[in-house]
Amino acid sequence: MSDYTLGIKELDAVIGGIKKGSNIMFIGPPMCGKEIILYSILYYGTAKNENAVITVSTRESATHILEWFKEQKLTLPLSRIGIVDCVTKTLGGASVENENIKIASSPVDLTGIGVKISQFFEEFYMKKNTKKIQLHINSLSTILMYSNIQTVFRFLHVFTGRIKAAGSMGIYVIESGMHDEQAISTLKQLFDGMIEIKSENDKYFIRVVGLSPKPTNWFEYEIEGANVKIVGRK
Amino acid sequence: MIETGIPKLDEFLGGGIPNGKTLVYYIQPGVEGEIFGLQTIHSSLKKGGTGLFVVSSTTPDIIKGQFREFGWDIHLFQDRFLFVDAYNSLIGAPSNEKYVVSKPDNIEAFSKTIIDAMKELPPSTIVFGSLSTIIDLCGEKETLEAVRTWNKMANLYDHVLVYNFTAWPYSEETLKAIKEDMFNAVISVGGISERVIFGQYFGIFKADWTKEIKKSMLFRVLRPGGIKLYIPKILVTGPFDSGKSTFVHALSTRAISVDRMGTTIALDHGHIDYKGFSADIFGTPGQERFDPIIKLLSGESMGVFLIVDSTNPTDFVRAKQMLEITKSYGLPYVLIANKQDLAGALAPEEIRKQFNLPHDIPIVPVVAKDKKGVFEAFEVLIDKITGGL
Repeated sequence: MSDYTLGIKELDAVIGGIKKGSNIMFIGPPMCGKEIILYSILYYGTAKNENAVITVSTRESATHILEWFKEQKLTLPLSRIGIVDCVTKTLGGASVENENIKIASSPVDLTGIGVKISQFFEEFYMKKNTKKIQLHINSLSTILMYSNIQTVFRFLHVFTGRIKAAGSMGIYVIESGMHDEQAISTLKQLFDGMIEIKSENDKYFIRVVGLSPKPTNWFEYEIEGANVKIVGRK
Repeated sequence: MIETGIPKLDEFLGGGIPNGKTLVYYIQPGVEGEIFGLQTIHSSLKKGGTGLFVVSSTTPDIIKGQFREFGWDIHLFQDRFLFVDAYNSLIGAPSNEKYVVSKPDNIEAFSKTIIDAMKELPPSTIVFGSLSTIIDLCGEKETLEAVRTWNKMANLYDHVLVYNFTAWPYSEETLKAIKEDMFNAVISVGGISERVIFGQYFGIFKADWTKEIKKSMLFRVLRPGGIKLYIPKILVTGPFDSGKSTFVHALSTRAISVDRMGTTIALDHGHIDYKGFSADIFGTPGQERFDPIIKLLSGESMGVFLIVDSTNPTDFVRAKQMLEITKSYGLPYVLIANKQDLAGALAPEEIRKQFNLPHDIPIVPVVAKDKKGVFEAFEVLIDKITGGL
């Protein structure tokens, strides 16, 4: 049995699951539904595979994320969900931490974000005895708006290492076209594979690179509500 | 002299930090170390001092909010508690603070504001909330050069300078300069990790105004409350008659056993204070029917001694089984090859082979009844737990 899966069965079938300790860059153009794909990986990981998932959110507040799942009528197993919210305090909103939500002071505060991630890891791994943990960072692009590439590299160097040590899986979202090629190549050194999205003639395609001997084909997909539906293959 | 307000640390530092001196909290990423700077400035304010907090990764309001989370009343010293705001201008927001760095990514601008404040203020406690963020924004060399100037100024104007520094993988040169050369005192704040970080400790790496006390203490951060010391639990397990109770008693300054006819049926409990490290020790019974106790105690422990009778390889299968239970919690462990004085005792390397133990797992030869090797074993485990402070 593979250690982790994405929950998109056509892709999982081709890559045959993802090894523990993998760090994956998730790159695609703006507004291609990356967020929903990530949420679907989160839902599948926690609800079906009984993984714990830690999401670092620099785009949506934790409350918004949880509400989204409610609206989609997807019940999350909250005991295995951890959200590091880097938005609420920056906007000056009311910030209450609870079992599922930890509030970081800002996307600049990588030290603080790191502490919150470590605390969730300890909680899931040691206290709740859940050994399969995913870390989702959504998104590196926002973090890169506040901190330079070397700083983000150092941060990721530490946390991709922790993912390996803990046998977890990390997924790091990045917007294509927003950063220069050199920045992307620098970051790529830290990753074992990549989920890539491209758009052609108003259609969106997804493929996985580096997690199987050859890159997968491009799969055309559509998003309906919370579902990621593969509708064709190139 | 100001007190850090962190339990035990002031004692280790010979009372606190003298005026004119500098101290850095050298923090492993992922560990809640920035609270140390916060608690230090609070302690100084509480004693009537003036405090200047330099924020560079968040707003002054959020720091004030953190004070409230810890239950520290900020109104008591409002006019003595000042900020250097090196964050708001970074995100284009206005600032209400007296000292504002208009270009936080420009070290000259940064340095000018800090030096102006140092000249204006009476001898104060100046805490840099995140030196790492300043380095990230202004560059490694440039920042270190400025820090050297600030440290000299502190000496001149009798301020106490305290820095929170998260040790991200900067260049070796930078890390070495911070850890060894630039500050009068260095306090390591680290995490105990096996696969994940599951405990936090601090210890003095260096303090040039007092006799070095190489001690490390485990801590937890409570809200409200702040940094509190924490006594860790260490588990002693192993098959029936391997000598667990003898080991616990040999190691402990005081110990009790719950037993029936000489066999432990509930647990052994001891406490050790050794070379500045204290721990509670729990020994489990060896029989399988008590395995739930091992599970219960493992979940809360920091490390494990697995005791085997070196003369009895037939019990190794059972020992492995017990190891699996504790290993599933990801705890650091040391194998104790007990009864080394008896004829037919296997050498540690032979036991390693039979256990198929990786080379990084220490095996310590011990004669528990004569207390031989027990303290060495304790040191080895503590080293594994703290990553060798």
